[in-house]
Amino acid sequence: MDDVATKIIDILRKHMKEPRDDIGLNTALTDLKIESLDLAMIVFDIEDSFGIEIPYNANEEAADFKTVGSVVDRVRELMTGAGAAAAKA
Amino acid sequence: MTASGGPRRVVVTGMGVVTPIGTTVADFWASCRAGRSGVSALGGFPLEDLKILIAAQIKDFDHRARLKHFRRDKIIIHADRYSWFAAAAADEAIKQSGLEAPFKNPYRTACIIGSGAGGLVTFETAYRDLFIHNKRATHPLTLLRIIGSSAAAHVGIEYGVKGPTFATCSACSTAAHAIGLGRDYIRTGLVDLAIVGASESVINYGTMKAWQAMHVLSPEGCFPFAKKRNGTVLGEGAGILVLESEEHARARGAKVLAELCGFGMTSDSKDMVNPDVEGPSEAMRLALAEARLSPSDIDYVNAHGTATTINDRNETNAIKKVFGSHAGKLAISSTKSMHAHPLGAGGAIEAVASLKAMQENWVPPTIGLDEPDPECDLDYVPNVGRDRRVTYAMSNSFAFGGLNAVVVFGPPPA
Repeated sequence: MDDVATKIIDILRKHMKEPRDDIGLNTALTDLKIESLDLAMIVFDIEDSFGIEIPYNANEEAADFKTVGSVVDRVRELMTGAGAAAAKA
Repeated sequence: MTASGGPRRVVVTGMGVVTPIGTTVADFWASCRAGRSGVSALGGFPLEDLKILIAAQIKDFDHRARLKHFRRDKIIIHADRYSWFAAAAADEAIKQSGLEAPFKNPYRTACIIGSGAGGLVTFETAYRDLFIHNKRATHPLTLLRIIGSSAAAHVGIEYGVKGPTFATCSACSTAAHAIGLGRDYIRTGLVDLAIVGASESVINYGTMKAWQAMHVLSPEGCFPFAKKRNGTVLGEGAGILVLESEEHARARGAKVLAELCGFGMTSDSKDMVNPDVEGPSEAMRLALAEARLSPSDIDYVNAHGTATTINDRNETNAIKKVFGSHAGKLAISSTKSMHAHPLGAGGAIEAVASLKAMQENWVPPTIGLDEPDPECDLDYVPNVGRDRRVTYAMSNSFAFGGLNAVVVFGPPPA
């Protein structure tokens, strides 16, 4: 796992009531018992850590946030120019 | 309604506080016994150009330790400090009452916890982030932390309250109004149980500047009724009472601490900052009338006693108007001399002080009262508390805007 993934897993662990050690890229966020408010705080922390903006609406199903890997991919994408353009769209 | 058709009697079965002189009732009362002041050098944030450099801040409160057993409310640890205080005080009060959570009849239970200003510290932090630090966003919980009804909601969620749940807001009378409303809901049969009180935590740069601009803060200390008094001192904290109908408490074999036997509320309808004698005295008179007591039945008055020039003189005159010749025989004290002015939470913390005075037949002092103001010429229990039989106690709350609320406590119904 690279730095981006490690950092994101650290953020996820920070927001879990009982942090687990077995979080991998394939772990589903629903398995981490992350609820909507937790997700808002996690998104805020990720944005702050990586200096990006993640288009996200708590009212919608967030397909980008199904697994830890999908979050890592989305963050990587947003860290590149293409992601930044997508964020504006 | 009772079997006789009259309003139901309301009793107190639990109390909790978080104050600058003790973050439990036992520690708070030990400080009152010792005549300890919670006022100290202002700190915890950059003081910049502030001129008033004292306050009564709570320094030994570990919210993680106090609230770690909360289960139903999943985000209390991330809430504003004012909600932490309310949750900790409610926890203490509910434990004392012996009630088990979640409550058995959730729709017959109320949770009325007020706050004069809600999460003002969160507000300032968020605006500093946005306007000074040019942050892109506020913390996602900013809104929930700020809302003035959050403390009531947090406590209601944790203990499973599904009946009337909201906050009161009436500046320094916030807590007394919450207590009075909870009492009325029980009296009239809407609920059987009510968690009531208020919480406040607003000490930050912006709040200090706003109070400083009003020129009502003392640079030296909180000295109610003293000749040297020159303003109030900001405090913070929470006070919570568990109220029940007498039948509800008896049926479950609860230990009844006292009866909440009278409540009176009025508004001066006159001036935002200058109180008059009529409004406060009418609130006291109404509370006595509802309790079916005559002025001479009252032993102890926990005064609003803010240590502002105007309040203490006006309150003295209002007490004289209501109590007549008995005024001189009352033991009156302002515990704000010790815990300073916790704004909206004051009435609940002072209700606890009144209940403890009744429980121990000992009246807390007004400390710092070396030389009384000649216009404040009643017995304010100067500097040292004293043994005195306290069968009935009155607690006064008079707020900016002329909003007055008075509660009267008596012994458990026979």
